[in-house]
Amino acid sequence: MPPIEHVLVINAILFAIGVMGVLTRRNAILILMSVEIMLSAVTLNLVAFAVYGKVEFGNFTGIIFAFFLIVVAAAEVALALGIVVRTFRNRATANVDEVNLLKW
Amino acid sequence: MSATEIIFYAIAAVMLLSALGVTLAGNIVYAALLFIATLGGVAAVYLLLTVEFLALVQLLIYGGAVVILILFALMLTRARERPQALFGKSRPFGVLAAMGLLAGLIAAAVTTDWVSPADRDGIEPVPFEAIGDVIFTVWVVPFIVVGILLSIALDGAILLATPEDEED
Repeated sequence: MPPIEHVLVINAILFAIGVMGVLTRRNAILILMSVEIMLSAVTLNLVAFAVYGKVEFGNFTGIIFAFFLIVVAAAEVALALGIVVRTFRNRATANVDEVNLLKW
Repeated sequence: MSATEIIFYAIAAVMLLSALGVTLAGNIVYAALLFIATLGGVAAVYLLLTVEFLALVQLLIYGGAVVILILFALMLTRARERPQALFGKSRPFGVLAAMGLLAGLIAAAVTTDWVSPADRDGIEPVPFEAIGDVIFTVWVVPFIVVGILLSIALDGAILLATPEDEED
């Protein structure tokens, strides 16, 4: 297996790509995809630490955390897409910079 | 360099390139397809890290449910006649911030002296049965809570997306 630093660096690149997508895109669905990429990077990190780590404490905490993270991410994506569809119906746009009703 | 490492780096390269494509593609549908490739790459990395359980969960939840949801939302919100800009006005700052974050993360990952024995010949595979045992004994309360959370969130999503009688 590759050393853990390489896994961590790959996950860091994946996370930074997700951050870049969130900060540069303006379509809400593309932003959502980038958020999912960030969550995947974090989950991969948890799994990498769990698998490379010591076995004595059951070795499963990171894996179970990753499992819960995936479930919560699924819930989040369902809710966010509901909001996007609703916004599109009310304001006829899916771009986050055009939804400025609360902007002061 | 062993075969596992070659496969790992190849999969990581595919994953990172398709993730880059998601953030840079000029077409939303291409971005969605590259997103599927990214999630497949993540599942493959789980498989290489010997966590088959998470690879299956990833494929089922992300490859099945989330991707279908996103494609549906894309189809429901693409009713625009004029092509529109996909990037916001703050794009250079966003790229700059991401680069800075990346530099910080890589510096932290490389300079930290990890205690874990990374130079072992192999890592122990994680068996399915043990994961099931742990989930339904040690983690049973969080498991139930997360189930309740998921059903509440899905009910909320249905409620949000249901058309109500328009008063205005």
